Amino acid sequence: MLYLLRKLGIFVFTLWVAATLNFILPRLVPGDPVSVMLAKYQGRLDPSAVDALKIAYGLNDLGSPVAQYFSYLGNLVRGDFGRSISLFPTPVIDVVLRGLPYTLGLVGITTILSFLLGSALGLYSGWRRGRAGADAVVPAALFLNSMPYFWFGLLLLYVFAFQLKWFPLSGALDPFPGDAFSVGWWGSLARHAVLPVLTILVTSVGGWLITMRNNVISVASEDYLAFARAKGLSERRIVNRYVLRNALLPSFTAFGMSLGFVVGGSILTEIVFSYPGLGYYLYQSVTNLDYPLMQAIFFFIALAVLLANLLVDLLNLILDPRIREGRV
Amino acid sequence: MIQPEAAISTDPEAVPHTLEIVGLRKVFGARGNAGGVVAVNDVSFSIARGEVLGLVGESGSGKSTIARLIAHLHTPTAGEIRVNGQPVPARLRGAALRHFRRQVQMIFQDPYASLNPLHPVRYTLSRPLKIHRLSRGTMDAQIGALLERVGLAPASTYASKRSFELSGGQRQRVGIARALAASPDLILADEPTSALDVSIRLDVMNLMLDLKDQEGLSMLFITHDLAGARYMSDRVAVLYAGTLVEIGPATEVIDRPQHPYTQLLKSAAPKPDAGLVPEEIAARGEVPDLKALPPGCPFEPRCPHAMPECRSGLPQMYDVGHGHTARCLLHDPAIRLNRGGAVGAG
Amino acid sequence: MTVISAPTAPRRTWKNTALGRFFSSPRSVLGAGLLTLFVLLALLAPVLTPYRPNSMEFDAFMGFSAQHPLGTTALGQDIFAQFVYGARLTLLVGFVAGLIATFLSVTFGLAAAYFGGRIDEAINTLINVFLVLPGLPLIIVAAAFIRGGGVWPVILVIGLTGWAFGARVLRSQALALRERDFIAAAVVSGEGALRIIFVEMLPNMAGLIAANFFGAALYAVLSEAALSFIGVGDVSQVTWGTMLYWAQAKGALLQGAWWWVALPGLSIALLGTSFAFLNFAVDEISNPRLAGGRLNLPSRVPAAVAAPVAGDALLSITGLDVGYAAPTGVVRAVRDVTLDVQPGELLGVAGESGCGKSTLAFAATRLLDPPGGVLGGSVRLAGRDLLALSPEELRRVRWKEFSIVFQASMNVLNPVLTIREQVYDAMQAHGVTDRDRLNTRARELFDLVGIQTSYLDAYPHQLSGGMKQRVVIAIALALEPKLIVMDEPTTALDVVVQRQILQEINAVRKRLGISIIFITHDLSLLVEMSDRVAIMYAGEVVELAPAHRLYAHPAHPYTQQLMNSFPPMTGPRTRRSGIPGRPPSLSAEIIGCPFFERCNTRMPGVCDVQPLQTFPVAENQTAACFLYDPAVPAAVKESAVKDSADRAGVVRAGAVRDSQTVLATRPRPSSPGGES
Repeated sequence: MLYLLRKLGIFVFTLWVAATLNFILPRLVPGDPVSVMLAKYQGRLDPSAVDALKIAYGLNDLGSPVAQYFSYLGNLVRGDFGRSISLFPTPVIDVVLRGLPYTLGLVGITTILSFLLGSALGLYSGWRRGRAGADAVVPAALFLNSMPYFWFGLLLLYVFAFQLKWFPLSGALDPFPGDAFSVGWWGSLARHAVLPVLTILVTSVGGWLITMRNNVISVASEDYLAFARAKGLSERRIVNRYVLRNALLPSFTAFGMSLGFVVGGSILTEIVFSYPGLGYYLYQSVTNLDYPLMQAIFFFIALAVLLANLLVDLLNLILDPRIREGRV
Repeated sequence: MIQPEAAISTDPEAVPHTLEIVGLRKVFGARGNAGGVVAVNDVSFSIARGEVLGLVGESGSGKSTIARLIAHLHTPTAGEIRVNGQPVPARLRGAALRHFRRQVQMIFQDPYASLNPLHPVRYTLSRPLKIHRLSRGTMDAQIGALLERVGLAPASTYASKRSFELSGGQRQRVGIARALAASPDLILADEPTSALDVSIRLDVMNLMLDLKDQEGLSMLFITHDLAGARYMSDRVAVLYAGTLVEIGPATEVIDRPQHPYTQLLKSAAPKPDAGLVPEEIAARGEVPDLKALPPGCPFEPRCPHAMPECRSGLPQMYDVGHGHTARCLLHDPAIRLNRGGAVGAG
Repeated sequence: MTVISAPTAPRRTWKNTALGRFFSSPRSVLGAGLLTLFVLLALLAPVLTPYRPNSMEFDAFMGFSAQHPLGTTALGQDIFAQFVYGARLTLLVGFVAGLIATFLSVTFGLAAAYFGGRIDEAINTLINVFLVLPGLPLIIVAAAFIRGGGVWPVILVIGLTGWAFGARVLRSQALALRERDFIAAAVVSGEGALRIIFVEMLPNMAGLIAANFFGAALYAVLSEAALSFIGVGDVSQVTWGTMLYWAQAKGALLQGAWWWVALPGLSIALLGTSFAFLNFAVDEISNPRLAGGRLNLPSRVPAAVAAPVAGDALLSITGLDVGYAAPTGVVRAVRDVTLDVQPGELLGVAGESGCGKSTLAFAATRLLDPPGGVLGGSVRLAGRDLLALSPEELRRVRWKEFSIVFQASMNVLNPVLTIREQVYDAMQAHGVTDRDRLNTRARELFDLVGIQTSYLDAYPHQLSGGMKQRVVIAIALALEPKLIVMDEPTTALDVVVQRQILQEINAVRKRLGISIIFITHDLSLLVEMSDRVAIMYAGEVVELAPAHRLYAHPAHPYTQQLMNSFPPMTGPRTRRSGIPGRPPSLSAEIIGCPFFERCNTRMPGVCDVQPLQTFPVAENQTAACFLYDPAVPAAVKESAVKDSADRAGVVRAGAVRDSQTVLATRPRPSSPGGES
């Protein structure tokens, strides 16, 4: 119970840090942030957008920074992230909600898939260590893990979409995919998702593989494993109940912690494939200097990663009897 | 230089004890008033100049914690520590801390862990000399003298070695030399031989005894081994669950233990010299949880002589003669009468 | 109680083997080679190309030519020039941002560990926050506010956001280091905080810090590429990342100039791989468990002689030779050991650390892992050669015919399974599947070893050390094997618990008539409870005798001196002396008696020359000592014994005769405890 409360505390605290960073960053720029931004837009902005910008930064009430900070936090709690500048006057929250399902579907599901696949390969590679096949996996994983996501995406796009024309070049759906959730719609969604999924899978699977492999090797030298072998247990039982159960726990914790890294990288994949998720909108907001949208997207990615972490902590609670007792 | 000190030590009135601790208590992990592990519970004893006090106990009895409290590695929760008659403040800094460190040195249990693997012996021994600005001749000469005092000769071959090039016994000798470098009055030896092989333990113990005899050092010798304590110590103190249960001259306490716990400890110890018939022991249970100690005598739940009175509060130390005291109600004159004096020794 | 055994961990010659191991791994060589190549490329850029990377003097999209080996960009820049100059800034970003992040990791990690308390709590919270905050989006948002201005703002942002992971790892290692005795020793010596952090702790973390730096550099290079690619940062600078940005912006792929995209991306991937290889290699060195040590031992030579004539022995070990593959050659930890165990007998095996007693147990039960292996001899259990069994045959025989109790350690039981499951699975693996039978048997076993049956449903961490060891003994008895091998079963336990468990073992043994091999360093314990005792020294059995005989008339000088090394519990308090010196190195050939150097009755010209043999001393007593060799003249023996008596008076306590390093031998990297 204490464990959960502590994790919940960290969740709220981290979310607050993310929000505060959002508040502080624009103010670190020398001068009044809005004027600096306006200078960058060079008069391309209409006056109502300028007002929206001022409101978004709490600069309209001309109060002290502390007062601005609290009115900013208040807006945040009410779900008011201001209006997008590039898509003016659409509220930022609408843009975020439009992109969120695609990102959750693509990056969320793929990350879980990648973790499962990487862990399975890592289990194989660690348990069969010393065999040529199992050992060759390591340098391959390290190489794949060092590739820039977007670059590998570009290559896939060039070969399979541009040259071979097996898959569509961009987007998440055909222009006219049919009724939502119909068979044709799902087909269209799937065809558009193949290349982005492949990109994320190939570039992120190596990390999970190495983590799991290291854990398996550590577990393999534990006394309880020698004891299990001495008992004459079958290899299957040893792998399932002794190696996997114990190696998965630290892997799981690592999963939670690396999620921020991996999701951050994965969303770049959306840019390459013009996949209309949060990463794509983040890119749009960066090129259009749409600061309110940019910050809201950062906030929502942080929120998603934090929620996923909370979920990992919950699962850990179920998997590890020592945590249940508050020992770890 | 050496003789006069040894002579003085026979007169406790004239010279303060090297170490006195009074009501020492340490609680780990307590938040506010509740909870926490009571590692050391109201322990008092003293060590005279040139005396070795053996501190005996099992794991979790608090014996290492006491050494670390005295060495100022932990801060006591309560109680007082006096070195050479001077109270040691809870927070020591700067010159006062350095002065304290010169008087009290420590030898650690595991010679494989107590030497930094990256530093040669010369560096390890030079540090105390530099910190305490003890220059008597050149640094090399001093280090050489230290190494020869602990039986590592020729010194020049050992000074340049790192710990992984030395055997366990040699490492422990370097550990002893490091403690000697500051010319302390008191050495805290925390199980200095239990990580060593049997065949080299005696020689390390002999070295410490020689140093004590030659230089009038006082020593706290911590061990879980009654036979080792008997070999090394002038007096022996027995700890159980953070509480001092018995203290007295070594031969008294070990040859004629008066506390049921010491008796149990003695009967459980392997006795190579006592013949081939293993002694049957009849203790039940295990050491109590230090987070939830029983209200009275901590040994009561396991004690074969337990009485209802044992639960009413921690018994006092009773004098059993020959400078020997034991914390057990069986030695309470009133209870002795009631039970017909049926308390056997050993 | 702390484990008595001296940890005979490999005495690492830190510098030599660390570097040696580093360069013996193909991965680290490849990583270092790649990195060197890229550094050279960056340094030699002006030599390699005559062009400036940013001059737009050429035609757009030119193909390969002698002048422009990689053609030109859409803006008329030379791609090769961009590539080699791009290496400069890309490496700069990797190194400097990596250094900043590593510096922060080290500072935060060490400060948290050294100061502890509230400072540690605060730093740890900060680490956790930065760990879960999605890094790249944060960098994007942060960098978006500082457009332009060259690469330095980008370096700064990446460095400032990328330290958390390293800080977490370094903090936990520093915390472990903080608990080491040499830190406490430095404090007691009077060292100040700064010196302890920077001279005592920091150098011991060098490997991890290096690994962390390479990890951070990899992260920095990838982050810079991502930032440049989406146009955040200064795209007028030439890095491999900005090359990708312009290639994408100008439709390089659509124009067919695929190499404009492929080359910088591949280079980033290769640079990243070299960092990852170096990170991995350094990691393997600081965590030897990860290094894949393979053994190169000669295969076993079966014993020439068949099972000895004493045909009723339950277990016969004949001429067993066991070794470990070490960088310096084979360490022969067990040398030509012949022993047998009768039905119902308790055979004690005693010796000090490194004498090979645990290796013997592991080899005889086929639990020895690489780099250890059996070099020769045979082990027969009830007539069956254990060393010749196939893995599946071995699995079936294990636990049913013989079981093993390891040294009491915190980790013999699987922490995530209930005790019940771990008692059951031993039986289930050997055909007992009926739930009721399993339950009844488990309860019987727990009664036998004196644990409440309610503990069946507990997890291992809920039990004390003594209770865990009782559980292990219960599991060892589950299938009523004929033989149980116990390797230091009570060493880590307190004397009282030790005594209780020994009583239980003895009672169970008598009741069930099983044989036990009991291995310990504690000779006094063995003498009390064994039927026969074997004394091991330097891999050999030097004396074998019934316990009472060994106690009353020890024959081998080592046994005699060892028995004299225990301080007495009774009688007058007199000085005794131990055995000066140390055992010989097991990696070298030992000529004659291995105890010669330390022996007080040695016979020069005999003991150090002749090949060692075992001689009968009395009925059922043998000793590997030339004092019992009928071929040695009696006069020589008498003068040796007389010399020893003379010397006994003048033996200076504490004379350390031998200073050579014994090469460490361990049973297996994973053996319970470090005793061998």
